[in-house]
Amino acid sequence: MSGLYGSLSVALSALLAEQGAMEAAANNVANVNTPGFSRQRPVIVPGEPVVVGSLSFGTGVYLQRMQSLRDPILELRLHEETQQQGYTNALVSGMNQVEVMFNSTGADLGSAITHFFASLNQLSTDPASTPMRQSVLTAAGNLAAAFQNSAKNLSTLKSNIDLDVQQTVDQVNVLTSQIAKLNSQIAALENVHEDASAFIDQQTQLIRNLSGLIDISVVQTEQGLSLTTSSGTALVTSDRSFQLQSQLGSDGAHHVLAQGADITTAISAGKLGGLIAVRDQKIPELNSSLDQLAAGLSSALNTAHRSGFDLNGDVGGDLFVPPPASGAGAASNIAVAVINSDLLAASSDGSTGSNGNVIQMAAVHDMKVVSGETPIDFFSHLTFRVGADIANGKSELEASGVVLRQLEDQRAAISGVSLDEEAANLVLYQRAYQAAARVISTVNEMLETVINLGR
Amino acid sequence: MRVNPNPMPNLLAALVRVQLDEQTAMLEITTGRRVNKPSDDPTAAAVLVQNQDRSDETAQFLKSLSNMRGQLQTADATLNSMVLAIQRAITIGVEGASGTLSSANRASLAGELSGIQDQLLSLANVSFQGQYLFAGTATRSRPFSADATSASGVRYDGNSGVNAVEVGDGFLLPINRPGSQLFMAAGNDAFQAMHDLMQAMQSGSGIDTAVNQLRHSLDYLSGQRVFFGNTINQLDAQQTFLNSQKIELSKQETDLAGADMASAVSRMVNAQNARDASLAAMGRAIQTTLFDYLR
Repeated sequence: MSGLYGSLSVALSALLAEQGAMEAAANNVANVNTPGFSRQRPVIVPGEPVVVGSLSFGTGVYLQRMQSLRDPILELRLHEETQQQGYTNALVSGMNQVEVMFNSTGADLGSAITHFFASLNQLSTDPASTPMRQSVLTAAGNLAAAFQNSAKNLSTLKSNIDLDVQQTVDQVNVLTSQIAKLNSQIAALENVHEDASAFIDQQTQLIRNLSGLIDISVVQTEQGLSLTTSSGTALVTSDRSFQLQSQLGSDGAHHVLAQGADITTAISAGKLGGLIAVRDQKIPELNSSLDQLAAGLSSALNTAHRSGFDLNGDVGGDLFVPPPASGAGAASNIAVAVINSDLLAASSDGSTGSNGNVIQMAAVHDMKVVSGETPIDFFSHLTFRVGADIANGKSELEASGVVLRQLEDQRAAISGVSLDEEAANLVLYQRAYQAAARVISTVNEMLETVINLGR
Repeated sequence: MRVNPNPMPNLLAALVRVQLDEQTAMLEITTGRRVNKPSDDPTAAAVLVQNQDRSDETAQFLKSLSNMRGQLQTADATLNSMVLAIQRAITIGVEGASGTLSSANRASLAGELSGIQDQLLSLANVSFQGQYLFAGTATRSRPFSADATSASGVRYDGNSGVNAVEVGDGFLLPINRPGSQLFMAAGNDAFQAMHDLMQAMQSGSGIDTAVNQLRHSLDYLSGQRVFFGNTINQLDAQQTFLNSQKIELSKQETDLAGADMASAVSRMVNAQNARDASLAAMGRAIQTTLFDYLR
């Protein structure tokens, strides 16, 4: 095919192709700030040539399709790193609330222990003095209150985190059902060979959000993306999503169930993993340390107290209500058993002015009564463990933040919309459009010449 | 190579980081402390718990020391008065032994001795802030009282208990001596000696023996008094030690947790500069695209 009409149709195809390309650029510019959007590039191909005799004529150009620029491997790495970050973030923010208990405020547990022993030393200078005996009881009361407050703070924190676990499970369910719905929309479009990239971008972004919440692995199948937790529990298959349930367990915490199976301990990343780690490991560990401290300290003081005599010359009883035999709940249940300061067993020989038993009680300060350590050393090591947990978590968070930003950088280098680039493309497409239009007007003039030949 | 066309998120992250640095440095400067919570420096925070315990303990030892000093000084001063009173009794005894005195004169001297006996009794019942100092550990009841049925005319109701107070790590310092040991020790019973002297003075015979006996008691009591002087000296030494330990502990605390002002200020200035630079970079990054030049 050749001739003026041929040229006209070639020019027309160019007009259409450039218009299409212009649309791609306009769409890119429109989505410059859309999270998860991958820029699109028009794929423009030359028309099939027509051979006439020994000559071959081009038939113009057409816009074959829009190509989205994305790197699926990079997206996978982003998902993984996001899971790690979600985990560490939840861990650090949970532990930050624990840390407050260990700040040296003067009202913290460590100070309460120190002040109690100071009150004993004070009493030893005048063991029959009622004000001094009273101040020992007050210090013992403060010590008990410090233990109780710490235990109460931990249990409040635990129930807050438990609530967060339930809400996070709900969020996971919303996301998985949206992802499954997108699977079916993508499949529907791809079946008729249409471009589904807008949906794919949305889906990628949702998976990214989901990664922040729970550990997942993504598998591309014939029926679209399929999602499982890293321990293999199905979350999304084709257009179906499997809802997780949160169910109150016998331990008073909500467990995460997938199709009836308890997967709580298997969740190892994402916000949910971090929350569960704080709720089921960190807090119980601390709780049992506090119990150990409370039980060790109160038992040793009770033993010392029972070996002395009170102001009436009677043998002393327990100073603190004895801790439970198992030790569990010692911190939350600790209370001073001696109410009347006359009943404080300061004397070692039954006389009112003897301070021998005060010395015995004060000696507990330097006795290794809490799993082989003195009470203060034990508390000091506990402080170290809490501080180190948070400090490590923070540096991990920082490191994973850096990795995440680098990955984001790489992703944006491939998929991000550059306004400069789009501006240049617009100029390019506009000029090509103008040139094609000029071809049409030139052909038009030529046709006019042909038509006027007969005049 | 294509680069990330949108530098804004990275610039924002950098800005957040320098703002965090700035705040950390500022907190360090305003609180004067580098370690404000355990995660700032877990090792230092753990040592600080022990340091805090030891410095509170040291402060308490110092408080107890000053309380003990009051007790010991009162006891020592009282013993001094008793020694003076006994010396005066000895002088009276020597005067009475001269043999030229009438029985009326001796009776008046015996009356004076009786007054001294009463004075000794009252001094032996000295108390400090409600505690009888020479009652052993029976500090709440009056230890000495006049009792005609007793050979010395004085009865001891205290006990022989001794209290010791901890004034250093495991360092126990005794704080009292029971009255029975001080004034009523067998062979050196001051009250008995006084009683015997009074009787000898009244009867006019055996005054010399009685005076000698009282001299023995005086020597013994002076010897006992040394205990109080020694203990006060030990208190002084321990106080000096505790004060230097307090300074040492507070120095250690500053080393562990105190702000390094020079470094904190320079970090803050650096962070502020970095923040200004980041803001300037962000300002430029959003200024122009190619669109601005295509007219």
